[in-house]
Amino acid sequence: MSVRAVVPTANVSPVPTLGTAVNTNGTVPPAADGNAGGMPAVSVENLHKRYGSGGSAVVALDGVSFDVERGSVVGLLGPNGAGKTSALKSALGLLLPDEGSVSVMGVDVGGDPERAYRHVGAMLEGARNVYWRLTPRENIRFFASLQGLDPRTEARRAYHDHLLETLDLADRADDSLNDFSQGMKQKVALACTLARETPVVFLDEPTLGLDVEATRNLRDRVRALADEEGRTVVLSSHDMDVVQAVCDRVVIMNEGRIVADDDVDSLVGLFRTREYAVTVDGTAAEVRGALDGAFDPVGLRETAERTTFEVTVPDGRFYDLTDALRGAGLEVLSLSTVEPDLEEAFLRLTDRGESDGRRGRAGTWSAPTPEADR
Amino acid sequence: MSASGWLTETAVLARAVAYKSLVLRVRYAFNTVTSLFTIYVFFALLFFGGREIAPQAIDDSLTGIIVGFFLILTATVAYADLSWELIREAQWGTLEQLYMSPLGFGRVVTIKTAVNLLVAFGFGGVLLGAMLVTTGETLVLDPLVVLPVGFLTICTAVGVGYVLGGLALVFKRIENVFQIVQFSFVGLVAAPVDQFPLLKLLPLALGSDLLRDGMGRGTPLWDLPTADLALLIVTAVGYLVVGYALFGLLSRKARADGKLGKY
Repeated sequence: MSVRAVVPTANVSPVPTLGTAVNTNGTVPPAADGNAGGMPAVSVENLHKRYGSGGSAVVALDGVSFDVERGSVVGLLGPNGAGKTSALKSALGLLLPDEGSVSVMGVDVGGDPERAYRHVGAMLEGARNVYWRLTPRENIRFFASLQGLDPRTEARRAYHDHLLETLDLADRADDSLNDFSQGMKQKVALACTLARETPVVFLDEPTLGLDVEATRNLRDRVRALADEEGRTVVLSSHDMDVVQAVCDRVVIMNEGRIVADDDVDSLVGLFRTREYAVTVDGTAAEVRGALDGAFDPVGLRETAERTTFEVTVPDGRFYDLTDALRGAGLEVLSLSTVEPDLEEAFLRLTDRGESDGRRGRAGTWSAPTPEADR
Repeated sequence: MSASGWLTETAVLARAVAYKSLVLRVRYAFNTVTSLFTIYVFFALLFFGGREIAPQAIDDSLTGIIVGFFLILTATVAYADLSWELIREAQWGTLEQLYMSPLGFGRVVTIKTAVNLLVAFGFGGVLLGAMLVTTGETLVLDPLVVLPVGFLTICTAVGVGYVLGGLALVFKRIENVFQIVQFSFVGLVAAPVDQFPLLKLLPLALGSDLLRDGMGRGTPLWDLPTADLALLIVTAVGYLVVGYALFGLLSRKARADGKLGKY
């Protein structure tokens, strides 16, 4: 079990303590309580949302479903207009879906939003979530109060100091945000979200507009939310490096649907294990002839009696490929696996979305149907 | 949640909202001072200019003018601040954060309104003092009249403010509606309710008439017409309840349209 210490406890001890914490903000501990309850931290079920009507209607969500395990970091990925923000805002009750339901820590967000908000906080639109005329400390105190948490208790003051320290804001805790950089403002926004002391945190594009160092710092901080405080994090981002580095699992959306829902390694491995770059001592025509009907070589390039190409090999058919080449008298000069990263996986999955489609669930990947009417 | 827990949370939130309101007004001091100063200058122009042109007319209606300006400022701060704050919060990106309070958006908005009412009476008091010093006029400031009648009168304007706030969430740009309401309020403060009793049902009209009686002629609360006081209570509650209900419907529409945090 990870350390999850500094969130003030229900007993309002004079200083934040380490160990099992029960939040003053409801009955659910803010930090990891493992999978004790059994139920997922977030459960999104069959969300549909359409804007407008008739021919100009836009489908933002088309049967979106996914669960988020407690204490995990799940990334929501997708191109612009994929439905990420609609999914996040529906999950938070800020957008009313036409159909479907969302529960956070077992509480139906649509049916009892106020109770649900005791368990979930969100940082939306990065630096625009805080009052720029207030100081970081004033912002933190305000958002804690908005949660019904008294910021004047000794334990909470210590927790707020801790937030300022860990986010490198302590030196400027009493300066107006007006003069802050974008990265500093986003850190304040994150601090304010954490000041709500909720076990589930939604972060929408937390690194948007940040420089490399600020992105790395924030990335580390987000990972620590799960590892050290045991919070559940749902993160939407365009930044693949961030998602790959931080997330345990990724939900990829395209055109209002989920096209993949799996852990990061599996998504990357899906392509890593199947695609090869091959060089043989023959012409492109000979390669085509050797593999005709059995494999689909792409990117053929002829150079001085050699041909290089890439080919996707279904599970268990690697030796069929080499046998086919040898059978045609082609010597394999080099063969290497193509190592895609998450970005590569993302691009392929969303590209595939143009022509094939099924809705994904955990551990599966699929793509939207062409009739997705957007 | 227990009643004491509910009260504790409400107090925590009220303190935070009041503190933020105060700090933001101080840090936007130029805007705060100029808005108050503009109304005072407008009054001074009317008073000194009117005295040059028609001194008798101004002297005869001075009490009504002062009470009218006091009410206009107080009502404007009370009703318009809520709408403007919702628009500004949407622009700042903080409106959705307010919505996600476990205390409920309704409670957040109600507390904001209560804080605005206090600020409105504060501003009104400052302007009232400035007007009395400028004119040398005296009014009977019986708290038993000014506070309850003034409060109920402003509540009718707050009801309108709730509707405007809801419209602001859905349509965002409602400046023209503000201007229409503002002009209407000026007319309603001076409405001849004795001649046209139905006007008593409109915001500010009846309360303004009762305040003129109480502050100008020194009529004590118990000598004000009971039927009028009862009607004032009914209209105050009616405007608040209907305004709040419409605000709820409009904020739901804003959520359905995905416009809650947009501006």
